[in-house]
Amino acid sequence: MKTPRDILFARHQAAMPKLDVIRQSTVAAVCDRRISTDCAHERRSQTAATTQNRLTSLVTSLLCCSNKLWLELIWPCRRTWTGLAAVWILLFIVSFSQRDNVSGVTGTSARSDGAVMSLQIQQRWMNELLADRSSPPEADRPRIFLPRPRTETTETVTV
Amino acid sequence: MPEVAEPEQLPVPQARAGEPAAWDALFRRYQLPLYVYVFELIRDEQAGLDIVQETFIAAARHIGGLREDNKFGSWLFGIAHQKCVQRWRKRKEILFDEIPETPDEFEDGPDDLLIRREQETEFMNLLNQLPLPQRSVLLLHFVEEFSLEEIARITETQLGTVKSRLHYAKKSLRKLLEVKNENAA
Repeated sequence: MKTPRDILFARHQAAMPKLDVIRQSTVAAVCDRRISTDCAHERRSQTAATTQNRLTSLVTSLLCCSNKLWLELIWPCRRTWTGLAAVWILLFIVSFSQRDNVSGVTGTSARSDGAVMSLQIQQRWMNELLADRSSPPEADRPRIFLPRPRTETTETVTV
Repeated sequence: MPEVAEPEQLPVPQARAGEPAAWDALFRRYQLPLYVYVFELIRDEQAGLDIVQETFIAAARHIGGLREDNKFGSWLFGIAHQKCVQRWRKRKEILFDEIPETPDEFEDGPDDLLIRREQETEFMNLLNQLPLPQRSVLLLHFVEEFSLEEIARITETQLGTVKSRLHYAKKSLRKLLEVKNENAA
């Protein structure tokens, strides 16, 4: 005598190899997911560490470079560099002070009499020149009748 | 009917922690009962294997939702049952039939049905003749000896409905077997 459970299980024993394959593949999938999660986590941490390392090395190299420049280029000729810097500063100061004066003059718009005079003369010349140019040409100008003796007049006879 | 607790210690906490060996042990423990249950409902080998695999994958994915570790078996069968229901819905089969409620006095023990060797094939044929809801309840009762409460949880039905289905399923099965025996005699 058998229980229904025994009968059912015995009947489906043939499916066991297929079920084993399914089980193994599912476990492998679960394992892969875990491994991939672990790998992703490790990869993320590695990436972060690499980025931080790169940043640190960049800062270090920059500091090293600037130190080398200071020691080899600037410090041995420090007096020369200081003198040059002083000259440049002086130049800047002079330049700024002159710019301030020019802007002050133009800002008040004060004009001297000489300048006004010269401007007026220039304007007059300009007007004369323009007036000459604007006058009509010789051919178009109306002739002014002046009485002359007959011998001096010339007539063109057209047949 | 006395409730049958799961006697073995299942490595559910280890599986929840993601240990492949624990998952292997759990799947090994339930692969055949699950397949028997699904196959006897669906009656399709390939579909049965597919559902078992889908159930395993869903279990691995949603193990965090399992509240009580000792309910792992019924939880797993619940997932498989839902997948069977989805397949039935696709095939538009009738899932539920109206069965009147039965009193508790008709409850039977899990081992009250013993079948002789020559009756095995007939038993399987008779099992397949049962309506789907009765077959489902009877299979859960036979295969894993789940309690009525657990069967109700797996099939998402009322406890009274489970009782009546199990009662009618056993009654009709016994009657069919008796008829066969009488005919044989």
